Amino acid sequence: MNKLIQNEMMKLIAKKRLIVIAIIIGILVAMFTYAQFKEVERQREKLGTDDWRTMIQQTIIDQQNRISSARISDEWKQQLQIALQQNQYYLDHDINPSEPGAPTFMRIFLENSIELFIPLMVMVIASDIVSSEHSQGSIKLLLTRPVKRWKVLLSKYITLAFAISLIVAIAGILSYGISGLVFGYKGWGAPVLTGFSVTDAGLDTAGVKLINQWQFLLMDFGLVWFVAIVVGTLSFMLSVLIRSTAAGMGVMLAALISGAILSNMVSSWESAKYFFMVNLKLTNYMNGNPPPIEGMTLSFSMLVLLVWWAIGLFVSFLVFTKKDVY
Amino acid sequence: MNKNVIRSVTMVSVFFCLLWLVGLGWAVAEYYGGKPEKIPEKTKIEKKAEKKDGLHIVAIGDSLTRGTGDETGKGYVGVLMDEIKEKTKQDVQLTNLGISGQRSDQLKEQIQQTEVKRQIQTADMILVTMGGNDLFRGGQGLLEFKEEDIAEIEKKFLDNMNFIFQQIRTSNPKANVFFIGLYNPFSDLEEGKEMSKVVRHWNYQSAELSAAFPKIVFVPTFDLFELKVNDYLYTDKFHPNKKGYRLIAERVASLLTW
Repeated sequence: MNKLIQNEMMKLIAKKRLIVIAIIIGILVAMFTYAQFKEVERQREKLGTDDWRTMIQQTIIDQQNRISSARISDEWKQQLQIALQQNQYYLDHDINPSEPGAPTFMRIFLENSIELFIPLMVMVIASDIVSSEHSQGSIKLLLTRPVKRWKVLLSKYITLAFAISLIVAIAGILSYGISGLVFGYKGWGAPVLTGFSVTDAGLDTAGVKLINQWQFLLMDFGLVWFVAIVVGTLSFMLSVLIRSTAAGMGVMLAALISGAILSNMVSSWESAKYFFMVNLKLTNYMNGNPPPIEGMTLSFSMLVLLVWWAIGLFVSFLVFTKKDVY
Repeated sequence: MNKNVIRSVTMVSVFFCLLWLVGLGWAVAEYYGGKPEKIPEKTKIEKKAEKKDGLHIVAIGDSLTRGTGDETGKGYVGVLMDEIKEKTKQDVQLTNLGISGQRSDQLKEQIQQTEVKRQIQTADMILVTMGGNDLFRGGQGLLEFKEEDIAEIEKKFLDNMNFIFQQIRTSNPKANVFFIGLYNPFSDLEEGKEMSKVVRHWNYQSAELSAAFPKIVFVPTFDLFELKVNDYLYTDKFHPNKKGYRLIAERVASLLTW
């Protein structure tokens, strides 16, 4: 088994995919850093100050004005209400929700990339990990060895899990390293609030806890990793089922993008919450953003994802051990 | 390929894999377990917010402060800011805290918020528009026009404003406060004459109230809109348009002292 994993790791490293992924992440992070920097500068110019309290106060006023406008939908109004209450809570407790610094940037980057960007990067590796053996013809060599088929697949799966862990780590390290050049490297100990819960009546602040940013980040990383593993497993399954890498990627891509679109418009279609792709934004539960469909909780989303993960894994192994290779 | 490279990459992967697992477990534990400790609310402003160079202007009030009806989005505050920026070399910082549809009882709540207090504390100049929503209630006041009702509304309004001005003066005894009076947007309508009378009385009382406080200046706008009111109103026939806001801004600008 060890040898098998070593063999797969060698293939992974030889393909240099991880380096490509690192370059993509690096370029994007640099772009986002610049955009963020510009945004901060613009705000400072507009308000004539860089005092975060003033900025939040202005945001609150803007939100209040949008809520009082009659032309917005009830749902949107409720979301605004929740965001507003959260801002007010931060302000009342004198805590800056976005303490300037690389760790904060990293947090925002993770929260925004959990749904689409990180899964896409994972797909780059996962979607051809089995099907490429078909297209290159090397599958026969692999399977003629005196090793059970499930062991071969398991070694591939474990390698995938390692690769995903590395991708998440690369995303973290690069976003910290690059954004720190502009925003500074401090801010690990900055206070962050978590434990907001969204109820019918609005935002419930009874369970709010104060934690350090590094703790929050570690949790975020854990959630991102979990999502990446689930998405990776599903791509892995497609890679077993569909010989063409491009087709497998296409299917997965469609699913992911539909998830991003659906989360913005499914609140009335309740059973959509059983799709894995609307459950990807796990970090929302940590920072108190309202879920796309009412009644979704962290455990619900994780359970849904786990079920999809188990099915994906089961199907992969079943098909791979049974199917004829020619 | 070098075996060591493979081995070390694998080791690093395993490390991160475990680390992220710990994070995941922690996230779940933190989400469901872990008692929240009480987080102290900051109600006092400990350090007096540092006074920076430049001019800090705070605008509070309703849709007039927001600039509703001005297609350029500036409102009288924006126009006034432009004029001030032309006249002074200092940095000018504007904090616009106006909320559309705000009534005096809501402003009374708003002004007691810690951050709003802090803003007012550092202000060099405070602009207030208030009363339109108390009196007109979005045009509804015109239909159910009863004198006793209005007297009551006016009394409540003056009480609220009294409280608001007291608050402002306690947090900031130095800044000039400009309290913008009401105009009558309905003066062209049938009941316009009666409404004008009400507004005049309202303004008179507001001016009296302002005079009771040091450095609070009542700025009349009634006369500006008296003739040709429709030229200065937005299509909703309630808020001023660009020209209307310019009139108000110019009037305030003429009162500024340096």
